[in-house]
Amino acid sequence: MNLSARARALALSVLSAYVAFALLVTLYGESPWFVARLVFEGTWGTGYGVGQVLFKTTPLLLTGLAVECALRAGLFNVGAEGQLAVGSLAAAAVGAYLGPVPSLFAVPVAVLAGAAAGAAWAAVPVLMKARYRAHEVISTILMNRIADSLVALLLGLGLAEHGTVRTRDVALTARLPRLSAVVGAFRGSAVSVALLAALLLVFLGPLFFRRVRIGREINLVGQGAIACRAAGIPVTRRLVQAFMLSGALAGAGSMSTVLGYKGYFEQGLGAGVGFTGIAVAMMGRRDPWLLLFAALLFGTLDQGGLAINAYVPKELMQVVTATVIVAVAWFERRGRGATP
Amino acid sequence: MVSARGLRRVCGSVVAVDDVSIDIEVGKIHVVCGENGAGKSTLLKIVAGVMTPDRGTVRIEGAPLVPHRADEALRRGVAMVQQHFALVPEMTAVENCMLMDAFVLRPAAMRARLRGAMDALGFEVATDVPVERLGVGEKQRIEIARALTREARVLILDEPTAVLTPQEATELYDALERLRGQGRAIVVVTHKLDEIERYADVVTVLRRGKCVLAGARARGSSTADITAAIMGAGHGIGTATALAAPTDEVVLRVESLTLAPSLRGVSFEVHAGEIVGLAGVEGNGQRELTQVLAGLVEADAGSFRASGAAIAVVHEDRQTEGLVLDATLADNVLLGRLGEVSRHGIVDLTRFRTEARSRLNRVEPLLDADALAVSLSGGNQQKVVVARTLADIAGGARVLVAAHPTRGVDIGAAAVIHERIRDAARGGAGVLVVSADLEELRGLCHRILVIARGELAGSFAPSASDAEIGEKMLRRRAAS
Amino acid sequence: MSLLSGVGTFASETVRLSVPYAFAALGGTLSERSGVPHIALEGVLLTSAFGAIAVHIATGSSILGVLAGALTGALVGGLHAATVVRGGVDAIVSGVALNLGALGVTRFLLRALYGSSANSPSVAGFGFALPPALRVLLDPFTVLLVACTLGVSWLFRRTRFGLEVRAVGAAKEAAHAVGVPAARTQALAVVAGSLLAGLGGAALAYDQHQFQAQMSGGRGFIALAAVILARYRPEPAVLACLAFAALDALQVVLQAHTRLPTDLVTALPYLATLLVLIVAGRRKQSPAHLG
Repeated sequence: MNLSARARALALSVLSAYVAFALLVTLYGESPWFVARLVFEGTWGTGYGVGQVLFKTTPLLLTGLAVECALRAGLFNVGAEGQLAVGSLAAAAVGAYLGPVPSLFAVPVAVLAGAAAGAAWAAVPVLMKARYRAHEVISTILMNRIADSLVALLLGLGLAEHGTVRTRDVALTARLPRLSAVVGAFRGSAVSVALLAALLLVFLGPLFFRRVRIGREINLVGQGAIACRAAGIPVTRRLVQAFMLSGALAGAGSMSTVLGYKGYFEQGLGAGVGFTGIAVAMMGRRDPWLLLFAALLFGTLDQGGLAINAYVPKELMQVVTATVIVAVAWFERRGRGATP
Repeated sequence: MVSARGLRRVCGSVVAVDDVSIDIEVGKIHVVCGENGAGKSTLLKIVAGVMTPDRGTVRIEGAPLVPHRADEALRRGVAMVQQHFALVPEMTAVENCMLMDAFVLRPAAMRARLRGAMDALGFEVATDVPVERLGVGEKQRIEIARALTREARVLILDEPTAVLTPQEATELYDALERLRGQGRAIVVVTHKLDEIERYADVVTVLRRGKCVLAGARARGSSTADITAAIMGAGHGIGTATALAAPTDEVVLRVESLTLAPSLRGVSFEVHAGEIVGLAGVEGNGQRELTQVLAGLVEADAGSFRASGAAIAVVHEDRQTEGLVLDATLADNVLLGRLGEVSRHGIVDLTRFRTEARSRLNRVEPLLDADALAVSLSGGNQQKVVVARTLADIAGGARVLVAAHPTRGVDIGAAAVIHERIRDAARGGAGVLVVSADLEELRGLCHRILVIARGELAGSFAPSASDAEIGEKMLRRRAAS
Repeated sequence: MSLLSGVGTFASETVRLSVPYAFAALGGTLSERSGVPHIALEGVLLTSAFGAIAVHIATGSSILGVLAGALTGALVGGLHAATVVRGGVDAIVSGVALNLGALGVTRFLLRALYGSSANSPSVAGFGFALPPALRVLLDPFTVLLVACTLGVSWLFRRTRFGLEVRAVGAAKEAAHAVGVPAARTQALAVVAGSLLAGLGGAALAYDQHQFQAQMSGGRGFIALAAVILARYRPEPAVLACLAFAALDALQVVLQAHTRLPTDLVTALPYLATLLVLIVAGRRKQSPAHLG
């Protein structure tokens, strides 16, 4: 699809989303223009707003990359949600029990703990797929639910501070510095160094799938597993690697929420980010710039919901997000001249 | 009965059918022939409403085919039996026939109708078994019988004998002649000259999407004019180079290989420098043998031993087993061999490119290493697959197994592929060529093995007749 | 509590809890059999529960409420069919989006119409003066479910439409070649299936006599697992739903009578489903298009 067709697809998508937005706002008895202005002012209108959008964008970059990584291998990771949840708990728990060690050690350990937990959580569905041909879409959805229960269970069993639903505070050395320390305009916003780490990973992605043998083979397996198997590529191993890497990336999404923002984990922190990551990956279409754009778009919508909640229920933005997801997929198919 | 005028259809970047007209009359067997890729299938799919033309019209009994759809053509009596059968594998013959019938199903009535149609044709096929459990010949018979249950008066068959033994093919034409006698029109796509000679009342020859010969012919008359029309002037096929006699050294020894239910105690040897053909009707164990030799499936019993590195394999379905269609030729020709151009798990892109280029050069210097495999013609796709296996042989493999190496490949590419296979044998490799095309095996092999129902049924010199080999291929299925 | 009445209560609870699952599973069977994955069943349950209650509150009629539930389901199914079958959008993407949209739209309307972010006002529902066990069995939804199960089964075995759905799901190209209108068949299967799932949403809402935010609670996903477990056949899918509902009922019992942590108990149905997928995987046979 050429650039102008893509631009037209995008414009039509934004238009459809605005129609849905205006319809619901009008239904609620508010003026669409007024609310739209609130959305803008709460997001890109102020330094704080921009910082918050970037904060919301950070985990989306990672879950989007996670979903893309699985998609490269031809697998659908609908489980980034659960992988992020267990990853967040692990990062917070490990971060909290780290003693007085230097940041250079504490931060990587906490991040890796989150990534490892995410990878482990992703291992279950992919091994089920490899062994028992259980469809990964269903099993990851179930794993999301089980993750919710597990997280609640572990919090209840002692990971939470007494009488609360949150973990102890993460050691200060394991926290990620806020960007507002460098960029004054972001003052008060939660965007942290995690954004830079996420961007680095997003832009390293294509290199991995091109230059690294495993990555390149993962990509080929996704395009034609049968031929790869016939040509001697260890297909099952590549699928497992791709999916666990996907889980690790999703789990690493916790670095912005747990280590960069709250400093602890509580039930529900980061909820929804895994699902939106699917949309980010689909819109990203293997291009880091598009992926970044998609994450910014959904990050903006999310933050925009908070900005309007005093006038219109913020759930409105979920409907708008859903409309964008469907509309983008729809118009891009049309743009490529695909016939159903 | 059916008359099509000025049909044109572009598929991708190729004009598949270019301003072709065709008239189909009742009481005639009409043969459409031409090389692979000449546009035969596309033309008849348009006539049967399966594909829409970009230009031109199809009229059935004078009235235009509107809307241009398969169900409408069928309603007006034009049915097509495609190469890839339009049967739902998990459903029985009766269920398949009910697909376009009354809203509330009447299996008993349909069974009776189907049986009636089969009786009229002299067929006998199980009607209540999922069709995926039946052989290709049986599926074809179900398709023909189904067309008759729909009262089809024009029956179009796309390469119906490609998958049949010579005997089955004869039986098919017997049935078709019977239908012709009942005042139906038959259209057959084939490229087998003896069939044209024996059965054709009317012939249409296509070349590169254009009609180059059309007209009635006396049955049994010479086919020289048709051959010339198919090939086109000055389109000589490179003559095959001679092969030396094989040596005594055994490079592949297969001993009582068994894989239930497809292979039963298969034993044979291939010598260095030898090309052995494996003939048989599709679905008699060839596929399973290839997969066992390729190391993709483990045999239940028996063993095989090959000299040199792993066996190099050209798999039978190049679009799924041979190639990753959405990847570049460079990736495809190095598929599974990235280790050879990587260091510490990092791909050296310079070596990757030069190695890919040199591999492609073995078969076709004109291929663009950065093109996607999906954009190539069937012939060039197959060349890429062959290039990969040739590199394996250069890298130390001494056995080449090539399953249907030239299926769906144009004559020029087939000649190149055959020559590369001969090169491999000349270089000291042992080659096993699996094919359903006896002509191909005759031209290529030192000897021809016949497989039937998972057993080797005979070994022949290339000069053996169709009848001799065909008889072994047939070996009626016992109680299946 | 005597053992007998305990067992009776458990059985009637199981049947009661199974109804929403079973409707969703029937709908899922229709859709998935045609080759269109339908993870939006979750969103269908949620929106149709809301649709049923909202219309009931507006009109005071439970009949209209149930109808509205079914129609809401069909509407969401229509969106799914339009994007997937017509628009060529990936069915999983469409499903995720619809589930998200369903979550958002119901909460939005909950606040817009009833000024609450948790639940709607209560409605009467279908009250009959019958003993508890009989009340479950003669519940209009239970009766309707039995009828629909038999209906879907008949559709698959005895009608050309059912045959066409199977054909399109198993071999789309082959079906198209013999003139089965593949796209229309899939769209119809998805819409009809979603209509059935919509009845499940209505059943869920009337069971609680109100709409609650996120009240579908993953039932659509479990129903989908039941469909796969049943290898895309209607009666076994409904039976599988009974089994899942029994786990739900057990969960209630366990919470009341044991000291197992609640969170462990709520995970039970999902863990069981996961196990069941492993067992089913050994002999799986899915419509070709679902991979």
